[in-house]
Amino acid sequence: MEDMSVERFAIAQFGIRLGTRLEGEHARECLLAALRSLPPGGQLVLTLEGLEVLSTSFSDEMIARAYQVLVSGELGNRTMVIETPQLELAEGIDVKLAQRRLAMLCRAAGTWTILGFHTPAMDETLRLILEKGTTTARELADELGLQMSACVNRVARLAQLRLIHREKIGMKGPQDIYELHSILQT
Amino acid sequence: MTRLTIETIDDLLEYALERNASSIDLRDVRFMDPYALLLLELLLLELGDRGRRVEVKRPGPTAVGRWMTAMGFDAKGSIAGTPLRDSASALQPIASIDNERNVGRIVDGFEQRLAERHPLSETGRRSLIAIMIELFQNIPHHSNADGSIEDPHGIAAMQDYKDSLFLAIADRGIGLNGSLALRSGYEGMTSRQALRSIFDRGVSRFEDPGRGGELQRIARIVRSWDGTLAVRSGDALLYFDDKGGDVYDVPEFPGLQLGLRLPRHILGIGMLES
Repeated sequence: MEDMSVERFAIAQFGIRLGTRLEGEHARECLLAALRSLPPGGQLVLTLEGLEVLSTSFSDEMIARAYQVLVSGELGNRTMVIETPQLELAEGIDVKLAQRRLAMLCRAAGTWTILGFHTPAMDETLRLILEKGTTTARELADELGLQMSACVNRVARLAQLRLIHREKIGMKGPQDIYELHSILQT
Repeated sequence: MTRLTIETIDDLLEYALERNASSIDLRDVRFMDPYALLLLELLLLELGDRGRRVEVKRPGPTAVGRWMTAMGFDAKGSIAGTPLRDSASALQPIASIDNERNVGRIVDGFEQRLAERHPLSETGRRSLIAIMIELFQNIPHHSNADGSIEDPHGIAAMQDYKDSLFLAIADRGIGLNGSLALRSGYEGMTSRQALRSIFDRGVSRFEDPGRGGELQRIARIVRSWDGTLAVRSGDALLYFDDKGGDVYDVPEFPGLQLGLRLPRHILGIGMLES
């Protein structure tokens, strides 16, 4: 896995009280342009520093909808995470990602958490991958005491949500073998 | 009638709309809340559109009469250009909401007037701003979503009381069932069904799963604060306070009208001695 390029994107550049969908629509265009300008595999850290209010409507229009584009695969294997001084500022993002059945990693006051739609099974698997940095589905299945197929499904969902990187390293019979990577820089 | 409020304004609406009243006598009114004031404003416009000439007998030089003037209400039923300011009573006069681009500026104005009178806690301020943004932008988003209304006349006002803060938002648009009817599968709903779909299930007129849910969330917040919420659309009113609530039948009236009574302490504003 190559070193990933990490860029920061401050939402406060659009104002400190971000409210309407119209404002969010404009901000989304800028966010998508920033994502497209990243090299393949790059990561955008979306920071909420300096914001007073981030409404649910703005959160949906700017962030959740941009994340939808990311998850669709249109932007390759780029990733995006949130960084916020207070978790309460990201509440609107949490709500709207959940409505869209999306999830993002968020660092609030130094602690990583998951915003949006997530299940205890997803949390358990993701936390183990983040902890290990790099692993395989086989290793995860052993450590979590899961059937291989259940583990593969969990991992596929996390990769689809851009919460982990999945790198094909070979094949075993008809099945692809992947190495799994945390999207967080150590 | 001595009190014109969320709880009593529908009696006046019924009298004016259904009994063909030639005058509205407010001379005995001693208290009026912003929700009732906005509905009165819209009622006069509605009666005018129906070709009805109705005389309004105002409360006179009483506290409520001065407050109505300071809030920008005039007897002709239109918003006065420059409302008189009465620092002893009116907090935020009636403001017009006609364009999403103006929502941020209007919210700033409301917050500034409130902050001039009361220091708010940081959390209270953030919550109130977020609620206002969502409710105010609903007017340009939904009140004329089908383009059938010439002037949805979106308005908002705010008032502080010794134990609460009262925010009212109203329009004369297509209402909740009119908005939901634009979505396939939601046509032909009654106002009651539309209120239930929006507040119980977070439905909106959009298929997009990210849209909708804001009113449901605001209702949840108000409930958790032991506040009061009234949402009136068509011939149905969703009303709850700290003792409970339900959806009630009310006289048919166009558009959507909302009233929120929030306990002052939630916003970090001290309670006043009675």
